Amino acid sequence: MIWLSWRQQRIETLITALLLVILAGAFIPAGIHAADLFAQQHVARCANRQSQACGFAVGNYILSTGVLRGLLDSGWFNLIPGLIGVALATPILQDLENGTVRLAWTQSITRRRWIATKLGFAVGTAVLAGALFSVLFTWYEVPFDRIFGHWDKFDFEWFVPVAYTLFALGLALAVGVVIRRSAPALVVAYGIYVAGRVFVESWLRQRLITPLSVTFGSRSAGPNLNNAWVITQYPSNKAGHPFVGTPGVFQECAQTGSKGFKGLSQACMERHGAGFTHAVYQPASRFWEFQGIEFALFAGVGLLLIAFAAWRVLRAD
Amino acid sequence: MTAALETQALGKRYGSQWALRDCTLEIPRGSVTALVGPNGAGKTTLLRMAVGLTSPSEGSVRVLGLDPEADAGDALPRVGFLAQEHPLFGGFTVAEMLRVGRELNPGWDDDAARARIAELGLPLKKKVRSLSGGQRAQVALTLALAKRPDVLLLDEPVASLDPLARREFLQSVLEAVAERGLTVVLSSHILAELERVCDHLVILAVGRTQLVGSIDEIVSSHRLLTGPRDAAEDVARLHEVVRESHADRQTTLLVHANGHVYDSRWTVHELDLEEIVLAYLGQDAARRREEAVA
Repeated sequence: MIWLSWRQQRIETLITALLLVILAGAFIPAGIHAADLFAQQHVARCANRQSQACGFAVGNYILSTGVLRGLLDSGWFNLIPGLIGVALATPILQDLENGTVRLAWTQSITRRRWIATKLGFAVGTAVLAGALFSVLFTWYEVPFDRIFGHWDKFDFEWFVPVAYTLFALGLALAVGVVIRRSAPALVVAYGIYVAGRVFVESWLRQRLITPLSVTFGSRSAGPNLNNAWVITQYPSNKAGHPFVGTPGVFQECAQTGSKGFKGLSQACMERHGAGFTHAVYQPASRFWEFQGIEFALFAGVGLLLIAFAAWRVLRAD
Repeated sequence: MTAALETQALGKRYGSQWALRDCTLEIPRGSVTALVGPNGAGKTTLLRMAVGLTSPSEGSVRVLGLDPEADAGDALPRVGFLAQEHPLFGGFTVAEMLRVGRELNPGWDDDAARARIAELGLPLKKKVRSLSGGQRAQVALTLALAKRPDVLLLDEPVASLDPLARREFLQSVLEAVAERGLTVVLSSHILAELERVCDHLVILAVGRTQLVGSIDEIVSSHRLLTGPRDAAEDVARLHEVVRESHADRQTTLLVHANGHVYDSRWTVHELDLEEIVLAYLGQDAARRREEAVA
């Protein structure tokens, strides 16, 4: 049964491996390069620090590390865990669609064992692939995380990539056993995967735990939000209400001296309902909590969907 | 000894539609049974329930005394099943298909399987997808036989084959019966091709069992009677009338006779199996027409 599971899943496993090898081929050299430059350019001194010099140093460092991180920033690589999960569901769905399950189920092994082995194989491969994906990017991001904190590449690091592959696998299996045709099932499941990820990333995630908020004077250094996930930040009055005036206020409050522009008068700005910055954010310390919640969410839904698919297949006539 | 296949008021419903209903039959061990009925009579459903692919909606089914679902672990190794479309993994080679059989069946007879494939002249390295329909059927049958089952269930095994492949396929089944003494049930909507190999017959119609028995018994117990119309009722009192037709003065009855027909008013003719089966299937068709009208 193990040989059969491997033989039927061979192509999908190879595609997954190939994807990971391509990613590793691109990001391992880039990661080594980034770590070397990090040491050479002494960027570590700017970790957690805001200054003009550090702004330049960090900007310079990012530019010199190459284009790959820009690609990672674009978010397209978020599609990969889904692709892997969906691909690993295909052997089982094709078996169901082609009627070859009737061959497997009329050999000497029970249907229960067939389902357990096939699903075990798919889940195992998905978890392994998700873990390798995560290890690659968590390692690659080490120097960048020292500058920007873990939040920056939340979707690529630590536990959540594994949950994403499981989620995609579960979706494809569940949709597949309901509509019984593998090609449309994979397309629909992938669409739901992308929609689910976008929904969580752009709406749900920031609400999982009520974010913190802070209002600080524009002239003060304010809290260190370097490693935090800043959800929104805007000019405000002292109470933190957004500034609603017109840009004319800047002219009115500008202080000029002999050398020209000297800055804004804080008292004047406060009078016009400005002079402060309001930030809503999740602190760096909550990173692990959020990883845990999002892992539980996606992996939990994924496993529930897989269990649903198993139940449907077990009862199928 | 328990029967090879036994059903009690077995029924299967899909939605509001009964695929099979009130099916009670017993197929003895060592027999080769033809399961005959028109398309949609429930033959496939019956065989699938016998191997545990489908759950009964009512009644019970036993194979070698075992429940195919509850006792799957014990029943499956002893039952061979060949689905109508001869499913095989298309991308696998013939050798890989044999490996599937070996991996999934503890009782697998690898020597016999390889010998069979060699005898048929099938190349081991060829992909199943590129084989002809007849060759695929033979590979599927090899898988079912090398498992060394006690009961072999074949669903419309020759429907998709050309006449030559049909002959070869049925020949293979007969050889296996002779060698191993296994029980075979094969379904078909055409009787002619099975008559040569079978010794028992089950007729399924309108999703119900119509007739079960050995072919010799069936042939010897059915008679065609011709006689006066007014005497038909007397016959119906003693014997089961399968089909009747009336001319001006004369009535023709096809009866399942309960012993001999001793009435001198009737002329008694013997029938061959095909005529008997057609009479039952005709009765079924008439009933369906009535149901459709109603």
